[in-house]
Amino acid sequence: MCGDARNWDEDAYRESILKEREIQTRTVFRTVWAPAQNPNPNPETIVAASSDGSIASYSISSCISKLQSFRNTKAQHLLVAEPDCFVQGHDGPAYDIKFYGDSEDALLLSCGDDGRIRGWRWKDFTNSDVPITLQAGKQMKPVLDLVNPQHKGPWSALSPIPENNAIAVNIQGGSIFSASGDSCAYCWDVETGKLKVVFKGHSDYLHCLVARNSANQIITGSEDGTARIWDCKSGKCIQVIDPAENTKLKGFFSCVSCIALDGSESWLACSSGRCLSIWNLPASECISRTSTRASVQDVLFDDNQILAVGAEPLLCRFDINGAILSQIQCAPPSAFSVSLHPSGVTAVGGYGGLVDVISQFGSHLCTFR
Amino acid sequence: MSNALLSLCLSAIPSVDSRLDHSLLSTINMEVFKRAILQPGPPQAFALQTVQEVIKPQKQTKLAQDENQLLENILRTLLQELVSSAVQSGEQIMQYGQSIDDGETSQGHIPRLLDIVLYLCEREHVEGGMIFQLLEDLTEMSTMRNCKDIFGYIESKQDILGKQELFARGKLVMLRTCNQLLRRLSKANDVVFCGRILMFLAHFFPLSERSAVNIKGVFNTSNDTKYEKDPPDGISIDFNFYKTFWSLQEHFCNPASLTLASAKWQKFTTSLMIVLNTFEAQPLSDEEGDANNLEEESANFSIKYLTSSKLMGLELKDPSFRRHVLVQCLILFDYLKAPGKNEKDLPSESMKEEIKSCEERVKKLLEMTPPKGKDFLCKIDHILEREKNWAWWKRDGCPPFEKQPLEKKTVQDGAKKRRQKWRLGNRELSQLWKWADQNPNALTDPQRVRTPHIMEYWKPLAEDMDVSAGIEADYHHKNSRVYCWKGLRFSARQDLDGFSRFTDHGIEGVVPLELLPPDVRSKYQAKPNDKSKRAKKDESKGAAAQAEENQIATPASEVDGEGIRADLEASAAQMDVDVTATGNISQGGTPTPDEHQKQSSDTDNGQEAGQLEADAEVEAGMIDGETDAEVDLDAVG
Repeated sequence: MCGDARNWDEDAYRESILKEREIQTRTVFRTVWAPAQNPNPNPETIVAASSDGSIASYSISSCISKLQSFRNTKAQHLLVAEPDCFVQGHDGPAYDIKFYGDSEDALLLSCGDDGRIRGWRWKDFTNSDVPITLQAGKQMKPVLDLVNPQHKGPWSALSPIPENNAIAVNIQGGSIFSASGDSCAYCWDVETGKLKVVFKGHSDYLHCLVARNSANQIITGSEDGTARIWDCKSGKCIQVIDPAENTKLKGFFSCVSCIALDGSESWLACSSGRCLSIWNLPASECISRTSTRASVQDVLFDDNQILAVGAEPLLCRFDINGAILSQIQCAPPSAFSVSLHPSGVTAVGGYGGLVDVISQFGSHLCTFR
Repeated sequence: MSNALLSLCLSAIPSVDSRLDHSLLSTINMEVFKRAILQPGPPQAFALQTVQEVIKPQKQTKLAQDENQLLENILRTLLQELVSSAVQSGEQIMQYGQSIDDGETSQGHIPRLLDIVLYLCEREHVEGGMIFQLLEDLTEMSTMRNCKDIFGYIESKQDILGKQELFARGKLVMLRTCNQLLRRLSKANDVVFCGRILMFLAHFFPLSERSAVNIKGVFNTSNDTKYEKDPPDGISIDFNFYKTFWSLQEHFCNPASLTLASAKWQKFTTSLMIVLNTFEAQPLSDEEGDANNLEEESANFSIKYLTSSKLMGLELKDPSFRRHVLVQCLILFDYLKAPGKNEKDLPSESMKEEIKSCEERVKKLLEMTPPKGKDFLCKIDHILEREKNWAWWKRDGCPPFEKQPLEKKTVQDGAKKRRQKWRLGNRELSQLWKWADQNPNALTDPQRVRTPHIMEYWKPLAEDMDVSAGIEADYHHKNSRVYCWKGLRFSARQDLDGFSRFTDHGIEGVVPLELLPPDVRSKYQAKPNDKSKRAKKDESKGAAAQAEENQIATPASEVDGEGIRADLEASAAQMDVDVTATGNISQGGTPTPDEHQKQSSDTDNGQEAGQLEADAEVEAGMIDGETDAEVDLDAVG
């Protein structure tokens, strides 16, 4: 590997070391399964947004086939997957990605620390035959670029652009919702790129956001320890959900780090710190409250079960009453994202830039970084 | 009408010429049996009679070999005919000829025939194997559906067929019949019938029957589990896991290969770990256990799971499927751990560790698997434990389980047994050992042998010594060494005073004075006034004597005044030791000080006497001779 020292390039060497470091400390903040293009139930492509601001898509099948040859060499290292397509989407970390639409001309929306929401044409991702280098992604241009408004202070001082921590979409309404660092949630119009509604009321920055499209509502979770339900039309807060209410932990202040809605949009899973609470929205009542070993960093509904990942290398499955059904070991030491494919395949992304793809049987399909 | 014809035929039989066409003869004979079948009533009423009628046997009740052969031929042909007519009539063959009269169902023709033959076989009127031959014919002639009925018949007669006489004649035929049936049956579809046959065989043959035992414990390596090698299109599945999972079967199928190649074992454990991880990651709840447990009471139980990749998801959710796999693991571990194999076949230490940890995991998983995981694990453990016993039994060469009655056994190999029974050395010793146990009243028995009293014992010698009796010296009892020796022993116990006279007077001195006539008595009486003199002398000589005494080993032939005396004392001392503690004889040379004192005081008398006798030297020599003799006797005794 380093036999010839005559053409020693110290800068290149230094850079490679740094890059290696960077990759190892990279975090995957969000993984999303790409909409299937043909009636193939197998999960095909997964898109990951990372802390280096990159958005990359990976083909599962090629990962698996690589894994097999990989296993034969008996190397103990993790598979380093070659992305199908790679975009340097944001300056600073990319926090969330979402698909807007599931047809071929779906948009891939991303948001990040730079306070921008960018929309990429998914077709460009899939059709890019360009050999991928880390720089090549720059050639792709976003079709949508939204920037969070800056707050005006006295003497026309401008606040820094607040970051976007999460996005949600309402395709029928043509809206994009973003949970922002200025403790506001915004609603954007996709067509015009204009800001439609501002949801103001939280006292601290927002962590997460889900759209309850059937009721034209959004639900946000904030650092201030509450979740709020907003009406999109009026932009008014309808209900404040306090997961910590009526608990002894009143004094212990914990943010709402993630929330999830089930398919019928009547159940809400809400995690604050090491507590996972399930709410029935029509009755607006807390059904169950479970404390977990580590703080929960992402939740997801799988029919009437809840998948949760957090600051430990475990994928937990809870039933609606909060009882643990199963726990699967997964690769990232701390997981920030869990996503579920309709076939039952789960992807867990997290620290170390690792993505662990777990089959419906609970076995590990492949793990890559 | 036909009866009349038959009787006519029958009456014709005796006159039938031996050259008569054989087929005609057998046709006629068959008719007789046909008639017998139709006859109502229990077989014992007419069966033997019918046979006698047809065969005309030499012996009344037992057929000779060729007669048996003839009868068998007739019966087989008859059976064939009955079956063919049953088939033609379209009836089930076991029901053919059944009639329902007065609400009572009479037997079909074939079962009736079988009953009769069975009766004859049971009574040993005909050769015992005949019924088995007929049953084999019958199953071979019948369709599978009819075979079920036939087998039902066999099962119902299991008790009779299993009797020792019949079993011995027909076990091989029965085994062949059953195996043929099993071969014809589909293992997948006729599971119940297969099971019935196997159950029958299990009951019919003794438990220790070796023929069905896999003596060497060979694995059925042809039981190959095939699974898909290429991922299917159109369905979502973790194909790597699928392959990993089913590849385990190859190891389960041939566990012996695991110990030989460590690479294989490595592969197996990594695969097993992946599977166990997956099982652990997705525990099954009780509802799932109920919902997915299709197997219970379902008729389409299959002996092997299908390996289609499409089923993988469903199978993984099926608790009984999991159980099967986990139990397979336990069986495999059990095999690997089992002792009694070659040294090289035994697992290494590291492997043992791995097996142990895997086994614990598997057991935990079994416990977790609903329904009633704990109970299930308990049962499996029990079964595996018993399996070990079977393995040992096989290793010991399949000894029969039926224990012969004990008496019979001792008769059979009595000589061998008895030798082993002696607890002590030989028969006499052990008899002596047990004698007290067997005769608890012996001690109180007035007849028992006792130590005779010296008054009694010495009487013969006393008579000898009576000069008036005039017994010649050659016939004196003192010539008998055994007599003397025994007498000395008795006197030593009972009459120490008399015993001590031995030193001075020899054996005759020992005889109690009361027995002797007064004239002889005076000769042996010690003079009481001598005692003081002796004591004085002893005082002056004491030290030297004692020093000498401590060297008893000094040869007696050392003749000088002092030496003889010392010798004398020594031999007396030896005698004394003999008397007081027989066990000390060997240590006589170095008596302890205590003993020594005792000795000297005990022998005082004798020494005194010796000192005063004029012919001390002669006496001493004589005594020496005596003691020598005694030693000899001792050796002989």
